[in-house]
Amino acid sequence: MNIYLHELNGYRKSTLMWTATLVLVVLLFMFIYPAFSKDVTAFKSILEGFPESVRNAIGLEIDQFFSLLGFYSYLFLYIKLLGAIQAMNLGIGIISKEVRDKTADFLLTKPVSRVTILVAKMMAALSCIVLTNVIFLLLTYLIVSYTSTEPFSSKTLFMLSLTLFLLQLLFLSLGFMIAVVVQKIKAVLPVSLGVVFMFFLLNLFGSATGDNLLRYLTPFQYVEPMYILKNNSYEPDYLLAGLIVLIVTIVVSYVVYTKKDIPSV
Amino acid sequence: MNIFNREMRANRKSLIIWCVGILFIVGSGMAKYAALSNTGDSINKLMADMPSSLQALMGIGSLDLATVDGYFGLLYLYLVIMASIHAAMLGATMISKEERDKTAEFLFVKPISRTTVITAKLGASIVIVIVFNLVTLLSSIVFVDFFNTGDSVTAEVALLMGGMFMMQLLFLFLSAAVAAFVKNPKLSIPISTGILLSTFIMSVGIDLKSNLEGLKYVTPFKYYEAKNLLHDGGFDEGFVVLSLLLMVGSILTTYIFYRKRDLHI
Repeated sequence: MNIYLHELNGYRKSTLMWTATLVLVVLLFMFIYPAFSKDVTAFKSILEGFPESVRNAIGLEIDQFFSLLGFYSYLFLYIKLLGAIQAMNLGIGIISKEVRDKTADFLLTKPVSRVTILVAKMMAALSCIVLTNVIFLLLTYLIVSYTSTEPFSSKTLFMLSLTLFLLQLLFLSLGFMIAVVVQKIKAVLPVSLGVVFMFFLLNLFGSATGDNLLRYLTPFQYVEPMYILKNNSYEPDYLLAGLIVLIVTIVVSYVVYTKKDIPSV
Repeated sequence: MNIFNREMRANRKSLIIWCVGILFIVGSGMAKYAALSNTGDSINKLMADMPSSLQALMGIGSLDLATVDGYFGLLYLYLVIMASIHAAMLGATMISKEERDKTAEFLFVKPISRTTVITAKLGASIVIVIVFNLVTLLSSIVFVDFFNTGDSVTAEVALLMGGMFMMQLLFLFLSAAVAAFVKNPKLSIPISTGILLSTFIMSVGIDLKSNLEGLKYVTPFKYYEAKNLLHDGGFDEGFVVLSLLLMVGSILTTYIFYRKRDLHI
C-alpha cells in the first residue's frame, strides 16, 4: 500500500497536466466547430452529386461525418495520440525509474516480494489513467453539450470517449512490458514517442488501404470511431484482440520482472 | 574533436533506427499513392470542391493529390513531424544528458571550456540532422521516382526537404536552448517535445479556423508548409528570416545560460 501511495503521489502532477492538456485540445477544437458546421452545409450539396463508390473510397459517411459527433470523432484521433503517449510514458516510467534513479537497491531490499511491488505500481498507473479518463469524460460532456446546437446521443459520445480508456490500457500494459524487457532505459520519452508514433503511422497507412490484417497490428485501429457512430457498439473481434494483447503483456511483465537481474548501484 | 566523435558514436544506433523508420514511411506512403492514383480523377475533383476547413481536417490543404508531388506534399507533413521530433529530442538530450547520466562531473573537470563542449555537441547534432535529412531526401527521390509516371519532380522533392532541414535546425536549437535554460535536466525533453506538439496542434487549429491566421508566426509548422513551397516554388523570405533569427537567438541562449549554469551533480 505504501508503494501504491508513493507512486500515486509522484505522478499526481503529471497526471493532472496531461488531463488538462487533453481537455484543452477538446476545448480548442470544439471552439472551431461552429465555423466548421457553416462550411459543411455548402459542401453537402456538392457531395450528394458524387457516385456512391467515390464517397466510399475517401471514407466519408456524409451525415455521420458532418454531425457534431462526427467532427468530434475525427478530431478524437489527436486525443488518442496524446493519450497513448501519456499511457506509454506512465507505463515505461513507473517501472523503469527505480533502475534509472538508482533506487532499485532501496526498494528491492525491503521485505516485500517483487510481485507486490509490480502490482502496486501497476495499480497506481491504472488509477492515474482512470482518474484522467473520469475527468476527461465529465469535462468533455460539458463542453460538447455546451457547443451543440442540436440534440446528440450522449451514449455515443460516451462510447467514443471511452475508447480513449481502452487505448490507454493497451499502451500502458505495452509500456510495462517494454520497461521490463529492456535492461536500462535512460530517458523515457524518446522510447515512448518512438513506439507510439510507429503505431500511429501504421494506423494512418492502414486505415487508407482498408487492410484487415494490418488493422490487428496497431491498437489505434482496434476501435474505429465511424463504426461506433454507425452501430453504437464496438467491434467484438478487435476487443478480443485487445484483450489478448493486454493479458499477454501483463503476463510477460510478471514472468520477466520476477526473475530479472536488476542492476544495483 | 574527441567530444564530437564520442557524440557521433553514441548516437549512431538511434540514428540508424530513425533512418529505417523514415525509409519505411516513405516507402509505404508512396506505395499508397500507387493505389490512390488508380482510382482516377473523381476523388481529386471531390477534394478540390471541399471547403478549406474540411480539407484541413483531412490534412490535404490545397494539395493536388492526383499528382505525385501533391501527394508527396501530404506525406511531407508526416516526415516533418518525425524529423522535428527527432531534432527536438536530440537537441535536448545533447545538452542535458551529462547531468542526467551523472557524467557532468567527469566531463567538466577536463581542461576544456564549456563553450568548447557545447560547440562540439552542437556540431555533432548538426551532422546527425544532416545525415537524417540526406537519408530522407535520397529515399524520397528514389521512391517518388519509382511510382511517378509523369515528369520528374526531383526538384520539388529537394525543395521540400530543404524546408524540412530548416524545421530540423529550428527545433534542434530551440530544444538545446530549453535544455540549457531549464534547471532540472530531466524536464528538458518533456518541455521541448511539449512545445513541439502544442505548436503542431496549433497549426491544425489555424487551418481549421481562418481568423486564427495571425498565429502563423508563432508555430514553425506554418513556416515551411508543403502547399506554400510547392505553390511558390521557393521559401517565403519572411519566414526564412524569422527562423534564422529564432535559431541565432536559441544558440546564444544555449551558450550564455550553459556557461553560467549551476551544474546539478
